[in-house]
Amino acid sequence: MKKKDMPDTQCSRRSFLKTTSIAAAAGSASLVTGCIPGKNSGSSEEFKLKWEEYFKEHYRLMTQEEKDATISRLVRLAKLQRGLDLQMSSRPAREQVLYGYAFNISRCEGYMDCVKACVKENNLDRKSKTQYIRIFEMEPGQLDPSTGDAKYFHEVPVDNKFYMGVQCFQCENAPCVKACPTKATWREPDGIVVVDYDWCIGCRYCMAACPYWGRRFNWGKPEIPDEEVTTKQHYLGNRIRPMGKVEKCTFCVQRTREGKLPACAEACPTGSRVFGNLLDPDSEIRYVLKHKKVFRMKEELGTDPKFWYFID
Amino acid sequence: MKEIIHGSILRSLVLGAVLLTSHLALASDKSVLDRIKAANEPFDTMKIDSTHPLSMKTVRSNDSYQGGTFKVLTRKDSIERFRCSGCHKDKKVQVRDGVSFTHGDIVINHGSEGTSLSCSDCHNEKERDFLVGKKGQKIDFDHSYQLCGKCHFRQKSDWVGGAHGKRVKYWAGERVVYNCATCHNPHSPRFKKRMPATFSRPLDE
Repeated sequence: MKKKDMPDTQCSRRSFLKTTSIAAAAGSASLVTGCIPGKNSGSSEEFKLKWEEYFKEHYRLMTQEEKDATISRLVRLAKLQRGLDLQMSSRPAREQVLYGYAFNISRCEGYMDCVKACVKENNLDRKSKTQYIRIFEMEPGQLDPSTGDAKYFHEVPVDNKFYMGVQCFQCENAPCVKACPTKATWREPDGIVVVDYDWCIGCRYCMAACPYWGRRFNWGKPEIPDEEVTTKQHYLGNRIRPMGKVEKCTFCVQRTREGKLPACAEACPTGSRVFGNLLDPDSEIRYVLKHKKVFRMKEELGTDPKFWYFID
Repeated sequence: MKEIIHGSILRSLVLGAVLLTSHLALASDKSVLDRIKAANEPFDTMKIDSTHPLSMKTVRSNDSYQGGTFKVLTRKDSIERFRCSGCHKDKKVQVRDGVSFTHGDIVINHGSEGTSLSCSDCHNEKERDFLVGKKGQKIDFDHSYQLCGKCHFRQKSDWVGGAHGKRVKYWAGERVVYNCATCHNPHSPRFKKRMPATFSRPLDE
């Protein structure tokens, strides 16, 4: 989306508000609401950074300089507040790349190493035990995960059961994107559906719209021990979310745009997870689509997911 | 009254037109399958320069996949006590209980019942630092996939193509894949039962 799509008044109103409210806040304590950082929140540098963060643009309307500026503010804030040394990226999508995923239901043994790796990589809240991936233990003949058990905790694999992983399918025609009233979620050119956590208002319409249970909501501020925080972050990926925001699997955008496999695929001990570039005829994912029996979940809904299940 | 009806018809017409065009706009977006079908130019994954060399040792495979040659993780570096010829020289090793001291941990659970494999089905009895194929051919430990593929040819072709096994760390850059025996214990190849790494809370909690 280009800047000219937005009415001019919006930008000027934003900058008008910024200047007037700075003046007003200085004089009136009553203006300091829950959203606007209070004056007593840390040092004056921290207050200034938070203030500037509050008035930043939507990610897709930012220039590269503005993106760099907000990233340096977020990195500095993490240093001031928690002493963390982050490396945050805003790397855009690569050309001629469309990410796709295939999951081998005849190989997965239900070990859940993928889930553990995902929680660590994506800085998910440990307190609420938020997880992007769910592994369902399935009865033979059933291919609908709603019939499966995702709460199992016993020795796996159980004879005569199979295992099916569900996460965000990065739909090409994503219902969550259409449902968002603030355009805080969209599909990137490389096919990954991302969230601008600072523009999400937490209404959770997207969660209602998703037919795959792909999204999660932060009821509190994510709690992660300092030593477990993944410091290599992406603005649209695994940076630590504020409270009251919706988050989701991004195929580990911070890793995949650097050429790495998503954390789940790297952690899988059985090779059930195949990831790659759908636009590359030589890729493993294209081999699977060409040579294996594949299906997509709830294909009839027309969401056009980029996540296939396959059988050996 | 008439005006109101006219107005409402007009309004619904306008609404209908808007809905119709928005639907058309969505339909004009190409589906994933169409985009895949149209993409036949190989993608140069080497241009993604952030794929650093791996810390693990690799060797170029004797096979090639749809995108050319590829590498596999070596095996000889991870086999304890390799080279075998350190002990197994020309003469037979005659040490009391030698086999239980050195190889007593090996449990062979490979092959179906009745046709279970023995050591010499895979290990070369003449040249101890190598494996042996069905027709007596010498197979290097680093290329043990060639031996596995003699029986497991379906898995082998899937492994070469990318539907079995996995790449190491990167989807881009030069293709490096796990060797068969990196994941499977060749003496007992089926994965063991164990507790899951974590557990999930119910969705409706």
